[in-house]
Amino acid sequence: MEKFEIDFKQIDQIKKITPKEKNFRIKNLKLFKNVGFPSKKFEDWKFTDFRKIIDNNFNKLDTEKVTYDFKKTELIKNFDHNYIILVNGALHSSNFDFEEKNKIKINSYDNNINYNLSENPLICLNHALAENGYFLEVEEDYKFNKTLVIYNFFTNNIKDKILNNKNKIKINKNSEIHIIEYTINDSKFKFINNVYEDLVLEKNSKLKNLCIQNNRSEGFFHKYLKSNLSENSDYVNLIFSSGLRFNKLDIECDLIGKNCSCNILSALFLNKNEHQEIKTRINHLVSNCKSYQRVKKVLDSESKGIFQGKIYVKDNAQKTNAYQLSKALLLHEDAEFNSKPELEIYADDVKCSHGSTSGSLDEDSLYYLMTRGLSRKESTKLLVKGFLNDVVEFIKNPKIKEFVENKLEEQVNGHK
Amino acid sequence: MLEIKNLKASINSKQILKGLNLSIMPGEVHAIMGPNGSGKSTLAHVLSGKNGYEVSGELNFKGENLNKIPVEVRAQKGLFLAFQYPLEIPGVNTNNFLKTSLNSVRKARGEKELDTLAFLKIVKEKSSELGIDEKILSRQLNVGFSGGEKKKNEILQMKILDPYFSILDETDSGLDIDALKIVAKGVNSSRSKQKSFLVITHYQRLLDYIKPDFVHVLSDGKIVKTGCGDLAQELEKTGYKKLN
Repeated sequence: MEKFEIDFKQIDQIKKITPKEKNFRIKNLKLFKNVGFPSKKFEDWKFTDFRKIIDNNFNKLDTEKVTYDFKKTELIKNFDHNYIILVNGALHSSNFDFEEKNKIKINSYDNNINYNLSENPLICLNHALAENGYFLEVEEDYKFNKTLVIYNFFTNNIKDKILNNKNKIKINKNSEIHIIEYTINDSKFKFINNVYEDLVLEKNSKLKNLCIQNNRSEGFFHKYLKSNLSENSDYVNLIFSSGLRFNKLDIECDLIGKNCSCNILSALFLNKNEHQEIKTRINHLVSNCKSYQRVKKVLDSESKGIFQGKIYVKDNAQKTNAYQLSKALLLHEDAEFNSKPELEIYADDVKCSHGSTSGSLDEDSLYYLMTRGLSRKESTKLLVKGFLNDVVEFIKNPKIKEFVENKLEEQVNGHK
Repeated sequence: MLEIKNLKASINSKQILKGLNLSIMPGEVHAIMGPNGSGKSTLAHVLSGKNGYEVSGELNFKGENLNKIPVEVRAQKGLFLAFQYPLEIPGVNTNNFLKTSLNSVRKARGEKELDTLAFLKIVKEKSSELGIDEKILSRQLNVGFSGGEKKKNEILQMKILDPYFSILDETDSGLDIDALKIVAKGVNSSRSKQKSFLVITHYQRLLDYIKPDFVHVLSDGKIVKTGCGDLAQELEKTGYKKLN
């Protein structure tokens, strides 16, 4: 691991930390240093040999701070929205002009203590070094008027950096929000973004989250997303992260209140040499909850897609309704798809189902479209878009839907 | 319009068409009948250019040799196949697909591509002409369509793409009398001196509505008999057995 040396001095340089926090950081750094980046020997990383990926893509790596020159970024014009701008993961600015401002709190996130230790080395690294990020809180009984777009902007001077960020979103009782995470990447160089995100949905709250990219990225993204869903809360996560060199999204969702619902849907298009993994663990801890997962991936040449999905149902989580489906469409014989669905069920009155399929394009369907004058390439694009379409259909707002459709179209057409 | 000489076609080393000759002039409607397995659908797919067949012989369309021309270019040149079993394409909106399709045909013809409004105007016109509910076009392509709706959709596509030469592969199979009339109307309303049709069918019934200029009987990969419209009625009475 000579390419990547961090010493404990980096923790000393972090300002305003309590001795307790410092201890927590040091403990985590030790944990990370013991094992280094995860290789495929780690069960959770068996299809993503991160150590090897780092070796193949980076000659050096460091975690030192960067200063950046960020003036402004172009905002989405297609629909009215509130926004938060993050630059290299740090909170830069925000605007809630469409909302009652006293109902919303947005701050840089600086609480880095109350976390359990993790077996994931990248989470240890994050706990050790994370400094930037945001904390968004929506007060009780408040429904957002407009969507909130979180612009996640990366500058062009973060070559060979590892950016560790920590975020938290808390939606209090009876509140609702629709968030679009929109990643804009100016960096032509490779970097790593390692994010830990906490999501808390209190009783009767709703969060709809949609992730999408603006352009192709050389970034290597790892995100661990932990959510806690209370009674009657409703969480929807729609993922359209295409055009990323490397992306591993590790989603753990605790269903802790009755009648809550967790929906994870993704429509991903992987271009040449891209690597994307979605790993989920849905923990049904109480009765009468619902979880729904639909993961769709289209894989072009030499790309690799992975879905590891686990549904855990605790013995008292009766009347659980859990569904999981993973579908991959391989456009090239060099594309690779791995799927590992798992069910761990200790309750006896539950409805759980899962399925996983992968296949290539249907030649007869291609032929049918081509008899109508479309070239093989155009027909392929239509079938690919058709394959991903049922996830897009989950977007109800017509303007946002059109926006996402256009972005997806760009991605299928080979991205900017 | 179409000139087929000594056409042979095999699939998986099984020969299906065994030296077929057929000449169709502009403005003509030809019907092809024949027992199951005689090669009718193979003829349709070989004409439209489907991969997987080993083909020899000559295929000329509007004076041009088709043998090496790919499926989509044949379509752009004005050849259309109405499928016996139209495929269901999930997630693809019928209207969007047809617009893309019409524009690629228009582009190949050197015509201006149509915007959505102009396209929808054509759709409205053609669907009301045929008495087809245009709502089926806002659905996903053939997904959940009844057998009749799929066939009607094929005919509507034919009307919209406005080809020179259309092959109808058992479009009448499984249709009720009203749908059958729509199919016939689709053909009859397009008949002109420039347009030709090849209607593949099992039943004389369709030919009560579409009057063919010629009827051919295909048996074991060859045309064994050719006649005018009366031949179909004769076959209805006697069957194919007597021909062999």
